[in-house]
Amino acid sequence: MSGIGSEIRKILEHDSYWSVLRAYGYAGLVSGGPWVLSILSIMMIGILAVSLGVAQHEVNAFQICVTYLMAGSLIWTGGMQLMFTRFAADRTYAGAQAEVLPNLFGVLLVTMAGGFAWAAPFIFWFFTDSLLQQLLLLSNFIVLSGMWITLIFLSGMKAYRRIIGNMATGYTIGIAVALLASRWDLNGLLLGVLTGHSFLLFSFLRHIVRDYPGKDLLRFDFLEKGRSFYSLFLIGTLYYLAVWVDKFIFWFVPYTSEAVVGPLRASIIYDLPIFLAYLFILPGMAVFLVSIEADFADQHERFYRAVREGDTLMHIEYRRDRMVYAARQGIYEIFKIQGLTVVLCLLWGRELLQVVGISPLYIHLFYIDVVAVSVQVLLMAILNVLFYLDARREVLFITTFFFATNLGFTFATLHLGAETFGYGFAASVTLSAFLSLFILSHKFNRLEYETFMLQN
Amino acid sequence: MNQGMPEREEQAPMPAAGPAGLADGASALVRARAGKETVADIALLLEGTYPYIRGGVSAWVHQIISGLPEIRFAVVFIGGEKTMYGPAQYAFPPNVTHAETHYLMSPDAPSKVRARKGNRKAFLEMAEFHALLRASGQSGYMPDEKMAGALAQLGIAGGVRREDFLHSESAWSYITSQYRERCTEPSFVNYFWAVRAMHDPLFVLADIASGLPPVGAVHAISTGYAGLLGAMIRLRRSIPFLLTEHGIYTKERKIDLAQATWIHDHSDDVGNTLHDEMGYIRGMWISFYEHIGRIAYGQALQIVSLYEGNRKRQIADGAPAGKTRVITNGIDLQRYSTVLQRRPAEIPAVLGLVGRVVPIKDIKTFIRTVHALVNVRHDAEGWIVGPEDEDPAYAAECKDLVASLGLGGHVKFLGFQNVAEILPQLGLMVLTSISEALPLVVLEAFASGLPCLATDVGSCRELIEGRTEEDRALGVAGSVVFIADPEGAARAALELLNDAGRWHAAQKAGLERVRRYYNDRLMFDSYRDLYTQALDNPALPSSPSAGAGFPSPENSPTMEAS
Repeated sequence: MSGIGSEIRKILEHDSYWSVLRAYGYAGLVSGGPWVLSILSIMMIGILAVSLGVAQHEVNAFQICVTYLMAGSLIWTGGMQLMFTRFAADRTYAGAQAEVLPNLFGVLLVTMAGGFAWAAPFIFWFFTDSLLQQLLLLSNFIVLSGMWITLIFLSGMKAYRRIIGNMATGYTIGIAVALLASRWDLNGLLLGVLTGHSFLLFSFLRHIVRDYPGKDLLRFDFLEKGRSFYSLFLIGTLYYLAVWVDKFIFWFVPYTSEAVVGPLRASIIYDLPIFLAYLFILPGMAVFLVSIEADFADQHERFYRAVREGDTLMHIEYRRDRMVYAARQGIYEIFKIQGLTVVLCLLWGRELLQVVGISPLYIHLFYIDVVAVSVQVLLMAILNVLFYLDARREVLFITTFFFATNLGFTFATLHLGAETFGYGFAASVTLSAFLSLFILSHKFNRLEYETFMLQN
Repeated sequence: MNQGMPEREEQAPMPAAGPAGLADGASALVRARAGKETVADIALLLEGTYPYIRGGVSAWVHQIISGLPEIRFAVVFIGGEKTMYGPAQYAFPPNVTHAETHYLMSPDAPSKVRARKGNRKAFLEMAEFHALLRASGQSGYMPDEKMAGALAQLGIAGGVRREDFLHSESAWSYITSQYRERCTEPSFVNYFWAVRAMHDPLFVLADIASGLPPVGAVHAISTGYAGLLGAMIRLRRSIPFLLTEHGIYTKERKIDLAQATWIHDHSDDVGNTLHDEMGYIRGMWISFYEHIGRIAYGQALQIVSLYEGNRKRQIADGAPAGKTRVITNGIDLQRYSTVLQRRPAEIPAVLGLVGRVVPIKDIKTFIRTVHALVNVRHDAEGWIVGPEDEDPAYAAECKDLVASLGLGGHVKFLGFQNVAEILPQLGLMVLTSISEALPLVVLEAFASGLPCLATDVGSCRELIEGRTEEDRALGVAGSVVFIADPEGAARAALELLNDAGRWHAAQKAGLERVRRYYNDRLMFDSYRDLYTQALDNPALPSSPSAGAGFPSPENSPTMEAS
C-alpha cells in the first residue's frame, strides 16, 4: 500500500467530519500542491511586484515567460518523467535499487544537457534584448527541466510531505528574491523564480541522494532496449503536448494573440480564464489521491497478490470485482466533487472574476474551462488506473486521441468564432475521457484473461 | 526416463547375418513396399534416451539398429530441455538414414504474445475429446475418428494452434470452466500452469508429427510423449505404429510424481501422513500420463513388453490383450562364451552386484547380505561394480555402512568396469534391486556361466526359474529372494556357494536358458518379423483400437472387449 494511502487512512480512522475534511485537505495539498503553489507564487510575484512599482507590462512579460518555460519544460521532460518512473520502479522491484541513483543522474544529464542543446540556439536566436535575459531564460528552462524529473521521482517515492515543505520554502525564497530584485524588472523577477526552482531542484536531489544508495555516479541503463519503455516516453510527451496545444494555438494565431516579449506571444482572452480554472481542480485532485492512489491502489495490490499467491479463481474474480468497484467509486467521487465545483463556479463565477480583476467578458470562457479542467481530472484518474493495469498501448492511444482532437477542435473553434473559444479543448478532453472510460471498462472485463494468457 | 536398467558398457553386437533367406527376403519386401519414397523404413521414437543418454534402453536401441542392418532406421529423439543433454553418446550405424532431435520444453519459435479469439469450435471439440477421454476410463476406447479429429486439430490453422492454446480467449474460457467444474485445488495459478505445462509439449509433438519425412512405420520405445507421438503419426498418416516398453512408463511417472516437490499440494501444508489425499494437480498429471499411455496402446498395432509381468501390467493399464506380446532381450552369446572359458575351476566366494550405486538397486541390502555371509564364510567378499556419480550422497551412505559394519576388507567399490573382465571372478551375481525390468546383467551372468541371486522384482523370477513349462524344466539358475531381506539372501547365497553340485546345476540351467530363450538372434528375428509384418500390412485397419494386431505365434488375436 502506498505511503500516502496509509497516512490518509490514519487520519480517517478518527471518524469525524473534521477528520474527513482534514484528510481531504491534506490530500488536496499533496496532490494539487505543486501545481497550485507554482501558479499562486507566480501570481503573487506579479501582484507584489506591481505594488512595488514594477510596470504592468514587465509583470505581464514575466508571467508569459514563466508560462512558456513551464509549458516547454513539461513537454520536453514529460516523456522522460514517465519512462524513468517506470524504470526506477522496475529496478527497485527487481532488488537493484543501487542502479536507480546513477541512472537518475543519467536522466538529469540527458534532459538538462539535451535541453541546453536545443534551447540555447533557440533563445539566442529569437531573444535579442540582452545577454542577461537570454541567460536567465536558458537557465530557468534547464533548472525547471531538472526539477520536474526530481519532483516526479520524489512523488514516486510518495514523499509528498517533503515535496510540499520544500515547495513552500522554495517559493517563499523565490518570491523574496524576485521582490528584492524587482528593480531590474523582468530580469529581476526571472532571477527570483530561478532561485526558487534551483532551491527546489537541489533540495529534492538532496532527499533522493540521502534515501537511495548507489555506487556509480552515472549510468544510462534507462536507455537500454528491453529495460526501457519508449511507449511511456511517447505517452508523456503526447500528454503534455495535448494539454498545451490549444494554448499554443491561441498564442500564435494573430487575431487571438499579441506579441509580449521576444518571440513569445500571449492570448489574454484565452489564458486568464484557463489558468484561473486550473485552480479549481484542487478538490478533484484531493479525491483522486484518496480514492485512486490509496483505495484503488490497495485493491489493485490485493488482486495481484491473489493471482500470484495462488488463490482460487473465484477469489481472484472477487478481488477483481472489488478493484473495479474501487476504481468506479473513485471516478464517481471525482465526478461528484468536480461537478459540485463546477456548479459553485457557475453560481459565483462573476463575483470571482470581479475579485480577481478579470473582465466579466471572459465569464463564458471561464465556465467552459472549469468544466474542461474538471473532466481533465477525471481523464487523469482513468489514465492512472490504466497505468496501474500496465495498459501502455491503450494509454498511448488515448493520449494520441487527446492530442489530435484538441489540435483539430481548437482550430475548428477559431473558425467558428469567439463564442466557441474553449469548447474545442472541452470537447476534446470530454471525448478522451469517454474513450478512456470505455477502454478501461473493456480492460477490466478481460482482466483475468489478459493477466494470465497474455503474459510473456 | 530411467528405465531401471543398469548403466552399463555399451554392447556392440556384430551385425546379425540371421537366417540368410529370411533377412534378404524381408529386406527385399521392405524396399519394394516403402523404399522409393521414404527416408527410412522404421522411425524410432525415443524419449530422453538414445542417442544422448547412456543406459539399458539406449544400449538396446543401438543393439536393435545394429542387429537389423537391412532395415533403414530414422531416429527421432524427444528431450525435455536442450540444456539437459550433452553430445550424442552413440555413433549411428550406417543403417540410420535419418535423425531428428526435438525438445519439448523449448519450442523452436516462441509464440507471439497477442490477444486472439481462438477457434471456439475447435475448443468445443477439445472439450468433447476430454469428456470422452474421461468417460473411456480403463478400457481407453474411443472412436478412432474422434481421437484422430482431436489430435489432428493440434497445431494447424483451423484447429488449435500453440499460440491459441497459450493466448486465446477460447482457451481461457475452457481452462476456467474446467477449473470451476472439477478442480479441488485451491490455487488457480498452480492449476493454470499445470495445464499449460501439460499441454504445451503436445504442440511440439504435433509439429514433429507433421514435419517428419515419410517413413514406412513408426516404433515408439515407450509410452508417454513418444507413444503419443506414435499415435499422432499413425492417425495422421495411417502408417503402422509399433510400441515397445522396457519399463512401464506410466508407473514410473507415478513414482516420480508421488515424490515430486515441484507440485505444491495443499496436503503438503496440512500434514504428511502417508495416505493423505493426493492433491488435485498431482492427480491430474497422473491421469494425463495414464490417458496418453492409453491413447498409445489404443493406436498401436502391436504392444511389446520385455517379460510376462510387464505384459500383464500393460493390459491392466488398458492395453488390449490381443495386441500385446513379449519379446525378451537377448545378448550375443558368442561374446560371453569366451568369458565362460576364463572361469576358474573353483567357485569364488565373491558376490557381485553390477549396477549403478543408487537407492533403487538397494546397495545397502547387498552390503548387509555380505555382512551376514561373512559371519559364516569368513573368506566371502562383495563387489559393487558400477558408477557412483549419479547419487553421491547415497554412495557415501553405502560406504559409511561398510565402515560401520567393519566390512572394510570384504566389500569393494570397483566403480565402472568392463563386465566381461569381472564376471569370471565372481561366484554369484546378486541383484538386490527394489525394481527391475529385464536386467541384462542377469543374462550376461548366465551366458558367462554365473548363477544369479535376485530379488523377486521385474522378470527376475522368470529369468531364474523359467517362464514357460518347457523353460522351467531347464532348472533353477540361482535363487530368488525377497526384497530388503539380507538374512534370506545370505542364506540363499551360502547354499549355492557351499554346494558345488547345486551351483553347477544352476550354472547349467542358466547357460541353457540364455542360449535357448535370450539369444540376441531370437530378439532380432522377432523384431525383423514385427517390422516386416508392419511394413507389409496392406490396408491398415481403420480402427486398430477395436481390433487386434496381426496374429503372432504367442497370442491368438482375441479382441479386448471395449
